[in-house]
Parts: sequence; C-alpha cells; structure tokens
Amino acid sequence: MPVPWEALIPFGLVTALFGTAGTLLNVSKRAQNQGKPPRYHIDSWEEMMMDRDQRLTGHARKQTVCFETSSVWYAERTQ
Amino acid sequence: MNSSFHPGESSSHPFHEPTPLPYSIPKVNEVGATSAPLKSSAFFIGAYCKEFNEDFMLCKAENREPAHCLKEGRRVTRCAIDLINKMRENCLQQFEAHWNCLELNNQQYGPCRKPERALNKCMFEKLGLVKTIPGTAPGQTPIHEVDNPLYGRMQK
Repeated sequence: MPVPWEALIPFGLVTALFGTAGTLLNVSKRAQNQGKPPRYHIDSWEEMMMDRDQRLTGHARKQTVCFETSSVWYAERTQ
Repeated sequence: MNSSFHPGESSSHPFHEPTPLPYSIPKVNEVGATSAPLKSSAFFIGAYCKEFNEDFMLCKAENREPAHCLKEGRRVTRCAIDLINKMRENCLQQFEAHWNCLELNNQQYGPCRKPERALNKCMFEKLGLVKTIPGTAPGQTPIHEVDNPLYGRMQK
C-alpha cells in the first residue's frame, strides 16, 4: 500500500521555513553584537557602562583593558 | 518676573569639558578597562582596595562637591589600576577566560562559575586575595561556592 508521503511536504516546508527564519534572525543579532549573543534586561547602570565601552573602544560590545577614558556630561540646553 | 516654561532640549552629542584640570592637581590615568573585565575583577578590587574605597566613601559622605574628594579619588583610581595590572601579570589566562564567559552570558556571574573558580584559585595562590560577598548571613554558603545552585541561566 503506497505511503502518502505528499502529506508530509507541508510539515517539512513549515519546519524548514521556521528554521530558516530563526537562524537568519540569530545570525543577524550576532552580527550586530560582534559574534556574541545580544544583551538583555539592560538597566540604566548597564546602559551607562555600555555607553562608556563605546567611548573607550568604538563599539558597545567590544571589550579591552588598555585605554584612557574621557568623561562626558549628559546635559541639556535650556532657553 | 517672567515665569514661562522653557523645555530643555537634549543635544545629540554629550558634552565634553574642554578645559583641562589645573596643573596643581597631579594627573592620574583613568582605569581603562571596559565593563566585562571590571565586572570580573570587581570583588578583588573590593578586597585589595578596601581602605582606599572606604576613605573615599566617607569623604563623599561629608561633602558631595567634586573638589573635596579629589585626593581620595586619585588613590582609588591608582589602586584599581595597580590591581588590574597585577591580575593581568599573574592570572591573565583565567582572567580573560572569565570575562569572555561573562560577555557571552549577559554579564551574569551565575553561568560562569567554572572559569570563576579557576580565577579565584589563581588569585588566591598568586596574590592572596579572596572573593567574599559582603552581607552573606553567617551560616549560609555564599552563592559562588554552592555546588548545585537552584537557579540557572535564562533559557536560550
């Protein structure tokens, strides 16, 4: 008795498409974060530290131990 | 008196102070480490630089003005730089392994206990520094020494 293999094609398609979408999203997020998983649950302290990392190294996820910092003031212009 | 409201505008660039410090103030380089190495060495900075840090905090508690605590601030900075240099001389492998692990795990200590134990062992052997978590209740094992903790990392 012939097995209805055509009925499995939609399952295969859905799995492949979910897999591709998930993989591409993961690759895109890692590419934006220099190959590392993205940071989550970032609070104000973490945001300040990541901003400092950006000033030190040029990218918010790049880490180093060597350079001098420069401090900045978060100011707003009035009047 | 004109009391109309002027909303502030935030500028697109943060403000860099252009004037340098007066020449009478000794120049000390800032701690150039980014967030992951700092987080990795945090407890050792606490152990090594305890007196300087406490002096600085007490000084700030007296008076919050920046000019009041410059000397204590310089000592804190020098101590931290000194420790980070010593860590890199003595335990570079374990240090880098630990902060690379932190970077891969949202800078949380929990998932990175194995490299942390290696780093703690190396720091104790070479520099005699121990990581203690202040505020642990007297009978309780500190979380970094618990072998099988209840809570793990967030599911990937």
